[in-house]
Amino acid sequence: MIVDHASAAEKFNANPERVTWHDATLWYAREKRDRAAAEVPEWETLRELASAIKEHTLSHLDEYLVMFERAAIANGAIVHWARNADEHNAIVHGILHSAGARRLVKSKSMLTEECHLNPYLEARGIDVVDTDLGERIVQLRREPPSHIVAPAIHLKREDIAETFVEHLGTEPGVHDPLVLVGAARVHLRERFLAAQAGLTGVNFAIAETGGIVVCTNEGNADLGVAVPPIHIASMGIEKLVPGPAELAVFLRLLARSGTGQRATVYTTHVHRPVRGQHFHIVLVDNGRTTQLGRTDFWRSLKCIRCGACMNTCPVYRRSGGHAYGSTVPGPIGSVLTPGIDLQKYAALPFASTLCGSCTAVCPVKIDLDAQLYRWRQVVTKAGHTGRMKRTLASVGGKLLAHPTLLAGAGRVARVVSRIFPQTLTNRFAGAWTKHREAPEPSPQSFRAWYAANRRGKK
Amino acid sequence: MRARDEMLTAVRAAKPAALPRPDLAAVSRFARAENLVAVFAESARLAGASVLLTTRGGVDAFVDSASKPNERRVSMLDVDGVHHDATADDFANTDLFVCEGVIGVAETGAVWLPLSRLRHRAALFLATNVIIVLEQSRIVNNVHDAYAAIDVAEEECGVFVAGPSKTADIEQMLVIGAHGPKALTVLLVEG
Repeated sequence: MIVDHASAAEKFNANPERVTWHDATLWYAREKRDRAAAEVPEWETLRELASAIKEHTLSHLDEYLVMFERAAIANGAIVHWARNADEHNAIVHGILHSAGARRLVKSKSMLTEECHLNPYLEARGIDVVDTDLGERIVQLRREPPSHIVAPAIHLKREDIAETFVEHLGTEPGVHDPLVLVGAARVHLRERFLAAQAGLTGVNFAIAETGGIVVCTNEGNADLGVAVPPIHIASMGIEKLVPGPAELAVFLRLLARSGTGQRATVYTTHVHRPVRGQHFHIVLVDNGRTTQLGRTDFWRSLKCIRCGACMNTCPVYRRSGGHAYGSTVPGPIGSVLTPGIDLQKYAALPFASTLCGSCTAVCPVKIDLDAQLYRWRQVVTKAGHTGRMKRTLASVGGKLLAHPTLLAGAGRVARVVSRIFPQTLTNRFAGAWTKHREAPEPSPQSFRAWYAANRRGKK
Repeated sequence: MRARDEMLTAVRAAKPAALPRPDLAAVSRFARAENLVAVFAESARLAGASVLLTTRGGVDAFVDSASKPNERRVSMLDVDGVHHDATADDFANTDLFVCEGVIGVAETGAVWLPLSRLRHRAALFLATNVIIVLEQSRIVNNVHDAYAAIDVAEEECGVFVAGPSKTADIEQMLVIGAHGPKALTVLLVEG
């Protein structure tokens, strides 16, 4: 199904109060990020270093993957390689199946969302419980997450209360987040203690030591791997950093950029299985190598999934994560997903004002707005833009290339816009004019004004 | 093996031209806090922890005051090392867990706890209330210094902990005590 961001956003915009709340709440996260970044005098140096470390690692990715694998195996981990989502899902199921494990607790992993692991396992009789509170809420509602750090940010407490009445047996009408979190705590603790396997995502993998690092605030990743006898860590191959000294650079940037915290509550390092436990690491490609080979877009793989670009994006804040129809929404999602399916996600590079706010806050200095702009050329050349957009762009191009034509068209437009009401003219201008009013038409063209006022003057 | 070799071959063909490993010498010139204890306390409190300055001799009295006699308490100060026979269920109803941190990080208010300081990996997360003892002299300036001071790969696992567990997943409202402890106290002892 082709993603139409503008139409999908319209659904979200049907409730103006909610959009205003969503916009303000995410902007508040952006403000917290600004304060946290300003505390660190060396912030810009850290961003430069983080960017350079990721670029170095990606340019030696094969060597670092082999280094990581060797160290991890020496540590006693079992390393698996998956070319795509299907292989990843089959590997995870294989591990569970051969151990006879039917109850899996999962901590937030955007990669397993990307691979659609849950439906795959559920179809094979595995009970999968997402344990991050936001993830659990959307899982119970059978929805995808709408934000990579705050999966349920599109919901209000009343929605969540309703879900909990249905699934957790809370009292109807109880909306207090304290009470709701308390109910979830009891509900999920039972699942943790009964789990037969735990799966986590990976924030960073250390090539030199063969260990993985997971950052959470809730402690769900730790409980999920501390209790059951199997730990599966699923990671994209771009998660590698060379060594612990490099890891430190990213840890100073991640929480500050995402939530404005100085650090996440838990920064968990796993290097070896504890006695009696099996520790599996699944290295997943799923399109990453293809992106790595794209000169214009490989730097998007530097992303550390902090969510700052979403929090700051004026389009994301007002359209909601679901409008993007991709696992990772917002500016970074709009750069990553066209590389997976250009036709399906052709609309996403256009879901941006190109204001560059995302690039300004990105802790690893991904040139997001420039990449969005470049994807637009690719989408247009491939013929995936709408007929209206193509026609307007082609007419616009001709006008701008011919000064006489442009002057003539300007005269016509000034007359037309005076005679006909905006409601009529807007119908030809696409989504841009749906919630905007054009300014009063000027009585003269800029060229006429310039000739009368400035020519020959200093 | 086919998947592995194919993936590595594809990466080799796709990767951009080699870029140098950045020199991290700059991190040693980053700003240093004057009073590490004060900055650590501020950071840990920001993360929702209680922080108390005391002496080694004051620890027992504080621990006693933090739990009622009928509550279940596990203290790593009384035992040594990991207990391999312990199971998560043994800790499921722990009211108070006490342990000692290896180092603290002033910048973040986090304390490094490798497995050997935890007896069981789940102990830190299943207890309702956690007390971490940390020697004031073991506080380092920032995250860079922290990773220079520890060996992350020394033990099976280890965790930096900053404050009690928390979530803001419902309307971005901060709630303390998501899955893990509802309260966390750091006792900064002299020495």
